[in-house]
Amino acid sequence: MNRRIARTLLTHSFVTVLAATAALAHAQNSSDAVEWLSRIYQATHNLSYVGTFVYQQGEHSETSRITRLTSTHGNIEKLEALDGEPREILRTNDAVRCYLPKSRTVKIDRRFDHRGFPTLLQGEIGGLTQNYTVALGHSERIAGYSCEVVVLTPKDDLRYGYRLWADANSGMLLKALTFDGKGHTVEQFTFTQLTIGKVTQAEVKPQRTTAGWHVEDAEVAPVDLEQEGWRVESVLPGFRKVVEVRRTLRSSRTVEQVVYSDGLAAVSVFIEPLTAEDKPVQTGLASLGATNIYTREVANHLVTVVGEAPAASVQRIADAVNYHQPQ
Amino acid sequence: MNIEISALIDGEGSQRELDEALAALARDPQACECWRIYHLIGDAMHGHGLLSREFGAQLSDRLSREPTVVAPRAMRSRRERSRWVALSAAASVAAVALVGWLAYGPTANVVAPPVATVPPPIAEAKPKVPARVALPSATNDYLLAHQIYSPRVTLQGLAPYIRTVSDDVVEKGGR
Repeated sequence: MNRRIARTLLTHSFVTVLAATAALAHAQNSSDAVEWLSRIYQATHNLSYVGTFVYQQGEHSETSRITRLTSTHGNIEKLEALDGEPREILRTNDAVRCYLPKSRTVKIDRRFDHRGFPTLLQGEIGGLTQNYTVALGHSERIAGYSCEVVVLTPKDDLRYGYRLWADANSGMLLKALTFDGKGHTVEQFTFTQLTIGKVTQAEVKPQRTTAGWHVEDAEVAPVDLEQEGWRVESVLPGFRKVVEVRRTLRSSRTVEQVVYSDGLAAVSVFIEPLTAEDKPVQTGLASLGATNIYTREVANHLVTVVGEAPAASVQRIADAVNYHQPQ
Repeated sequence: MNIEISALIDGEGSQRELDEALAALARDPQACECWRIYHLIGDAMHGHGLLSREFGAQLSDRLSREPTVVAPRAMRSRRERSRWVALSAAASVAAVALVGWLAYGPTANVVAPPVATVPPPIAEAKPKVPARVALPSATNDYLLAHQIYSPRVTLQGLAPYIRTVSDDVVEKGGR
């Protein structure tokens, strides 16, 4: 009988040790994966590169070229659509310029906070583990590069999951896939060719002169929506307010914009007054890859919620918007 | 009694111990629970797939509804058993931790065996299925205004902007 007691106890402690070891291995994998997220982030901002990537979403796919020059004089990044209309987007430290040759229009957008682009995520990468399980997958090869795979699995159904393939040497992101709660691919970006380093100033210049083009330069200013009677709250756990501004849209309209983010996904709420000329608002949902757009009318205003989040999340934020006449 | 049951599972122990174990299993729901948990631990350690918690009860139920041809002694339904047996704390915690880890651990590397899970609570006030509408005519402008604040762009660079640039997409009313 004593022998059996000893054996039973031994079995129990063995199982305990096994579980503890497994938990430790899990934690190690998770912190390594978070470390890889930081490396991806650093590579995106510190490298110069030129490459061709394919964007896929449903049956739609589109090829583009991306060129980035990182230098002490400032960073410039250029995105060119290689399919269809030859559109270009340029990003400098303070603004994004969108060149649309068909309508001979340049749209210029600036961040309100002037912090520049890179700061938003910095320091928040560790915080992602509150909403996502971050783990390393098996290494894979993409466009000739051996890649580490980082998988971000959401801890609830309020957000999408992500698989990221990063070059094992440089940390450069070679492929990014967004998946839904059923594990189905929602959209993906894949480099088919990439050269790191050696980018000249000429390569990041816009291709055409824009003399005579229509320029839409957005004006952005801070605003306090609550003081104006609006209740816009993040009803989604893990999403917090990033910015709240009043801005112009297409030169002619003024809209208010509130952005929520969980550190990776972002959702914007746009509110604009309706005028007599506006068509009646169609309440409902439209989708574009991982982006869902929900529209509704509140107190004679058009409320449009745009986000890279599942439809139900975008709708929940839209449904929570309400207005009370300020006292 | 747990020790006799453990011996029975391993095919060891004296005839008297085995008789006691079998007698306990026939009359005591706690002994049955002990039997089930020892198998659960064994299966987890050997990496065998696990059956659902209700498997035994469901099997009994299905058997009881089969047309009886010869029934020397009807099996008693075990559905009344529900209490979690007071096993040694270490074993219980370890079993739960291990099974929990197998089920919810790093999914990229480990294929979790199907384990007994509590059905998820019904989501509170799920919004109705929304009406599908065409993309707003200002979709690109919204996207441009939105993406400048998206952390996705800080992680991935300008690539996500490819979603914004095509006016054709909006004209066609979405993809």
